[in-house]
Amino acid sequence: MLLSGQNAVVTGCLRGIGKKTLEVFAEQGANVWACAQQVDEEFEKFCAELAQRTGTWIKPIYFDLTDTDAIKAGLKAIMSDKQPIDVLVNVAGFTKDAIFHMTSMEQLKLVFEVNYFSQILISQYITKLMVRKKRGSVINIASISGLDGSRGQLAYSSSKAALIGATRTMSRELAQQGVRVNAIAPGVIDTDMNAVVPENVIAGHIKDMSIQRMGSSSEVANAILFLASDLSGYMTGQIFRVDGGMK
Amino acid sequence: MRSEKVLSGKNAIITGCARGIGKAMLENFAKNGANVWASARSLTPEFETRCAELSGKYGVLIMPLCFDMTNKEEMKNAVKVVMKSDLKVNVLVNNAGVTYNALHQLTAEAALRVQMEVNFFAPFLFTQSIVKLMLRQGSGSVINVASSAALDGNAGRAAYGASKAALLCATRALSREVGAQGVRANVIAPGITETDMIGSMSDAVIAETVACTDMRRIGSPTDIADVAVYLASDLSTYITGQVLRVDGGM
Repeated sequence: MLLSGQNAVVTGCLRGIGKKTLEVFAEQGANVWACAQQVDEEFEKFCAELAQRTGTWIKPIYFDLTDTDAIKAGLKAIMSDKQPIDVLVNVAGFTKDAIFHMTSMEQLKLVFEVNYFSQILISQYITKLMVRKKRGSVINIASISGLDGSRGQLAYSSSKAALIGATRTMSRELAQQGVRVNAIAPGVIDTDMNAVVPENVIAGHIKDMSIQRMGSSSEVANAILFLASDLSGYMTGQIFRVDGGMK
Repeated sequence: MRSEKVLSGKNAIITGCARGIGKAMLENFAKNGANVWASARSLTPEFETRCAELSGKYGVLIMPLCFDMTNKEEMKNAVKVVMKSDLKVNVLVNNAGVTYNALHQLTAEAALRVQMEVNFFAPFLFTQSIVKLMLRQGSGSVINVASSAALDGNAGRAAYGASKAALLCATRALSREVGAQGVRANVIAPGITETDMIGSMSDAVIAETVACTDMRRIGSPTDIADVAVYLASDLSTYITGQVLRVDGGM
C-alpha cells in the first residue's frame, strides 16, 4: 500500500473526485479527515463503512468554503486531534460559468473565494504543521482551463490559474522544509460538474484527445495518490495534466 | 484492498539497465511485480548475476536482452527475441543514453552525431518495433527518459539537450497517434541525478545546480525509477503525452 499509516486531509469529499480520492486513500492505508460542505447522513455512513472495510479511521469534517470562520473552526478541529498530517488535497471547488463580458463581479469574487482564497487559508494552516515535521505533500486540484483558458469560464479558469501560481510559489518556499507542493490539472472528467455541459461540447473536447474518452474520477484520484505518495518524492512545483492527452 | 504490487503481471522492456537510473528501474520494476527484459549493451557476468539475483529475490522473470542500440542488426535480433517469447509487452522504458558537455561553439560534429544516434535515433527506431507489438495487443505504455536539459537549454548542453528535446517531441507526436489504440507515451525529464553521468560535471557546476533546486539535493536513481513505475502502472491510465519533470523543483 502506498499510503500505509499516513494521515491526510481531503476537501470536497462529498462527491466526484474528492469522494474517489477519499476511497483510494483509505484503500491505500491512509487515515483521512474527510472535509465536506455540509452534514450529510449518507456521507457519514459511507465514511464509517469505508473505514471499517479498510481498517483506517475517517473523520468527517464540515465547513463551507465561503465562510472563513467555519473553515477555521474545521481546521482547528483537525488540529485538535494532535496527529501529524502527511498529505493535504485541496479538491473542493466550484464553477459559475459565464462568458467574459457577462461575468459579474459578484460571481467572480464568489468563485475566487471558494477556488482560491479558501485553498490558501487551508494550506497555510496545514503546512504549518507539515513544516514542523519536515514532511508533507500538498496537492491542489486546478484545471486545464487554468492553463489553456476555456470559453465561458472566465471566473473558473482565472481562479484555477491563480491556484497554479500559488502552487508554484508555495513549492519554492516550502521545498527546503520538506514539503512538496504540486497541482493536478484534470481535463474533461466524468463528474457532476461536467454533467451540465452540453453533449456536443464534450464531444468536441473528446475529438481533441489522444485517449478519446472522458476521464474518470478514479483516474484523477490515482494521479493524486501518486503525488501524495513517496513515488513522487523528488517532484515539486509541477502542474500535472490528467487529460487523456489534449491538443 | 489493493495488491501492493502495482506492476503485477506486467512485462516491461527497460534499456540501459547496467547502471544508474536503469539499474534502479530494473530493481523497482521487479520489486513491484513486473517481469523485465533487462537491456544493456553487453552481457557481463556481473549483469547476469544481478539479473538472476533480482529474479530470485522478487519472484519475477528477469531476462537479459543485450545488444548495441546503435547496431540495426542487433536491435532486430533483440526484437525477435522479445516476439518469440510470446509474452505481451506492456511497458517500454527507453532509458539508455549518453551524455556530452560542450559549449555550442565547441561541439565536435562527431560528438553531435553520437548524441543524436544514441539518444534519439536508437530509441526512436526501437520504439517503432515495440509499439507495433503494443498496437497488436491494443495496450501499452512507453516511457522515454529525456532530461530537464531538453526543456531548459542549459549552457554547455546544446548537443545533449537537443537530442533529448528531439526524443521529447517524438514522444508527444507518438502519444497523439496511438492514444486511441490504447497505447500511452510519456516523458520523464530528470533534473540533476546521482549517476555516473554527473561525473562529467565539475563540482562547481553540481553545487550551482543544487543551489537552483528548491529541494536542495540531487535526485537519486530511485526517485526517477519510482515515477517510471507509476507511468508503467494502471494508476496512470489517463496520462499520455505528458512530460514529468522529476527535478526537485528547478
